[in-house]
Amino acid sequence: MKAATEIRLPMNRVEGDLEIRVEVTDGHISEAYSVGTMYRGFENLLRGRAPLDGLVITPRICGICSTAHLMAAAKALDDVFGARVPGNGTRVRNVSLMVEQIQNDLRHMFLLFAVDFTRPAYAGLPLYEEAVRRHTPLRGTSSSQAIRETKRLVEIVAILGGQWPHSSFMVPGGVVSVPTANEVNQCRSLLASFRKWYEGRILGCRLERWREVDSGPALQAWLDESDAHRESDLGFFLRFSRQAGLDAIGGGHGNFLSFGGLKIPESSSVSAPDGGLHLVPSGFVSSGRKEAFDPAVITEDIGFSRFTGYTGGRHPSEGITVPDTDRAGDARRSWAKAPRYGRRPAETGPLAERIVAADPLFCDLVGDGEGSVFARQLARLVRPALLFPAVDTWLKEIASSGEGFYKTYRGVDRGDGFGAVQAHRGALGHWITIENVKIARYQVITPTAWNASPRDDEGVRGPVEQALIGLPVADPEDPIAVEHVVRSFDPCLVCTVHAIEGEGTLRPVTFF
Amino acid sequence: MAKRTLYWLQGGGCGGDTWSLFNMESPDILELFDLLGIELLWHPTISTLRDAELRALDERILSGQQRLDLFCLEGSILCGPSGTGMADTIRGRPKKELAQALARKARDVLAVGTCASFGGFGAGGETEATGLQFQKTEMGGLLGRDFRSGSGNPVINLPGCPCHCDAVTGTLSALVTGPSLRLNEHNSPLDWYGIMVHQGCTRNEYHEYRVEEKRFGEKGCLFFYMGCQGPLVYGSCNKVLWNRRSSKTRVGVPCFGCTRPDFPQNYPFFTTRNIEGIPIELPAGVSRAHYLAYKGMAAAAAPKRLIKRKSGI
Repeated sequence: MKAATEIRLPMNRVEGDLEIRVEVTDGHISEAYSVGTMYRGFENLLRGRAPLDGLVITPRICGICSTAHLMAAAKALDDVFGARVPGNGTRVRNVSLMVEQIQNDLRHMFLLFAVDFTRPAYAGLPLYEEAVRRHTPLRGTSSSQAIRETKRLVEIVAILGGQWPHSSFMVPGGVVSVPTANEVNQCRSLLASFRKWYEGRILGCRLERWREVDSGPALQAWLDESDAHRESDLGFFLRFSRQAGLDAIGGGHGNFLSFGGLKIPESSSVSAPDGGLHLVPSGFVSSGRKEAFDPAVITEDIGFSRFTGYTGGRHPSEGITVPDTDRAGDARRSWAKAPRYGRRPAETGPLAERIVAADPLFCDLVGDGEGSVFARQLARLVRPALLFPAVDTWLKEIASSGEGFYKTYRGVDRGDGFGAVQAHRGALGHWITIENVKIARYQVITPTAWNASPRDDEGVRGPVEQALIGLPVADPEDPIAVEHVVRSFDPCLVCTVHAIEGEGTLRPVTFF
Repeated sequence: MAKRTLYWLQGGGCGGDTWSLFNMESPDILELFDLLGIELLWHPTISTLRDAELRALDERILSGQQRLDLFCLEGSILCGPSGTGMADTIRGRPKKELAQALARKARDVLAVGTCASFGGFGAGGETEATGLQFQKTEMGGLLGRDFRSGSGNPVINLPGCPCHCDAVTGTLSALVTGPSLRLNEHNSPLDWYGIMVHQGCTRNEYHEYRVEEKRFGEKGCLFFYMGCQGPLVYGSCNKVLWNRRSSKTRVGVPCFGCTRPDFPQNYPFFTTRNIEGIPIELPAGVSRAHYLAYKGMAAAAAPKRLIKRKSGI
């Protein structure tokens, strides 16, 4: 057996930067470490501040999903104060979150993920030229159109909430804005125009036709049905994925977590597929078996983190964040904690959302197994198709229902709150404790914290780490499969590769 | 004309300034680069260089083989914990070293967003965040008060959380095609940081007549009680508008003063600090006594349609 070759992949822009370290033995990944390399200290910044300040500060955790953080922060405060959100307050919140989600899904696909199809590693594939034509950064047909269309879509958030990104229009008890009927109509026009582009360019068919696809064979039949399907961006993704073997790589633990969300207002004509109160169901699925969601069993370990102060798992409502200077330089330790659900690592995101919702297409593709790069990306690319009808119905109902947008609430001196959102990358939770009318504790677990988690105290790998084990690496200087696997979790990053021979040694880098 | 090269680095930040830049329309970001002849050497969200290629690019720039015209930093420089710089690393080294080295080679340096300009989140905290040439209101920062880039300019600060895309693209245009930019005391261009945020706010008629709100979801002014800093802070939000549509203050979100060097301020958002109902902080240059008299008269003159919140803002 050859000695392990270690590859480090510095990666940018998650809620902290991320670096993936893998060891390659006999051409396959034998070990993987997910290391957050940036610490911004947001949780501690909030301590001692006024209860509502999280509405301004937490959206700034992430520049592409700030509305999701705003929603989680507002819901945590709803919870503390017992605030009741009127129907239109819920609708404006939901619509804004869903619009940001659609933006995120398509930008991830066309600006961050599919760009890799143009890399020289694929030059030998028959579809390579088409990949270059579509996915060259900024200038590819899909890339440039995605930039133009998504920026128009987020105008809806600006109309309802003032600006995108980084507004703070959701507050306990609802939203601050009172959009006029004309403004709601502008939102509907923007949505209709975007949907037309999505159907024409991304799907190559009407939403209704796509939603009939309920199994692997039905997906193949859909692809074979017409040139419009084959030539769409979805059709190209299906064709390219097959040539690149994306359905054979990237399975994780087979544990899927969704916090669920998008509460349906009482008077709304929107109905949940499972008959529940939320459009997106919550739950945890392990090896095909579903458990009801219970936030009490969430814990975070720090045994492989650059933090100190406790051992064993802690529930976020008792969590602390204490950076350890001695551990800060340890290349195997992460600036992320290790969240666990009932002591188990969990993958979260669009695929997990579909598995928990018992979606027939994705349950068929994944079975009782672990998923793949292909399944994760497909779930992301077609998620907007599920959202458009509800977004439009809720916009219509804002103008017609006559319900309120905001209801005053009574502040409290002390209390605990939990805000859960099924955000774009998956399960997002904010936990707040208020004492003496100040924030005494604020803990955030992001979807990327779940997915890119380091090992827990028992040494069990996080989902991204697990998904990399056994992966073949043909060229350690350009391990493109590794990047596909990591990116399929949408940690909102751009990764680059740094190869080092031998284990644990870093090539010295000087900047002067 | 030779192409102008641009290198975009992300430090301690959220990526929001990049996504804000993608909001640009007429010209959009792609058209703008073509119009100005900008060659994008590296942007972490867009570029596809492998790390070996990126390292080679860094080395070419630092050795002077590759010309660097425009260096943009998004996010703060993290110097913590305990001065180690290990709160933000690249290739195992503190990222601040790379930022400093690139800034010294660049013809012009742009700090995009409040974190890059002044430190923003974490300034004065455990991550020891600083801006490129300011730490909060103090000149200095990573590069020092005497730093000048190749063109002779100091770091050009484009604060805002996020920075509005117009400020970035307009500054790039001015640097490439002229005329030269006029800067304020914080080295921010007057074109975007020369008017108060509340100029252009659709609630200004309420402001004039002191029709002030004490709860969310109303149409009146947010300055006296709700923590709005629109009359106090430089920014062009209500002139250029966000996403071509609106602004926070127009829809009823107080301005939090995100362009200020001390953002996020250490007092509560959503509440105006005041003495007997009059804000402690008044617009720059305004005498308190005159302001009291003016606001008393204004409230007395307020028309009924405003008191009844009848304007269709």
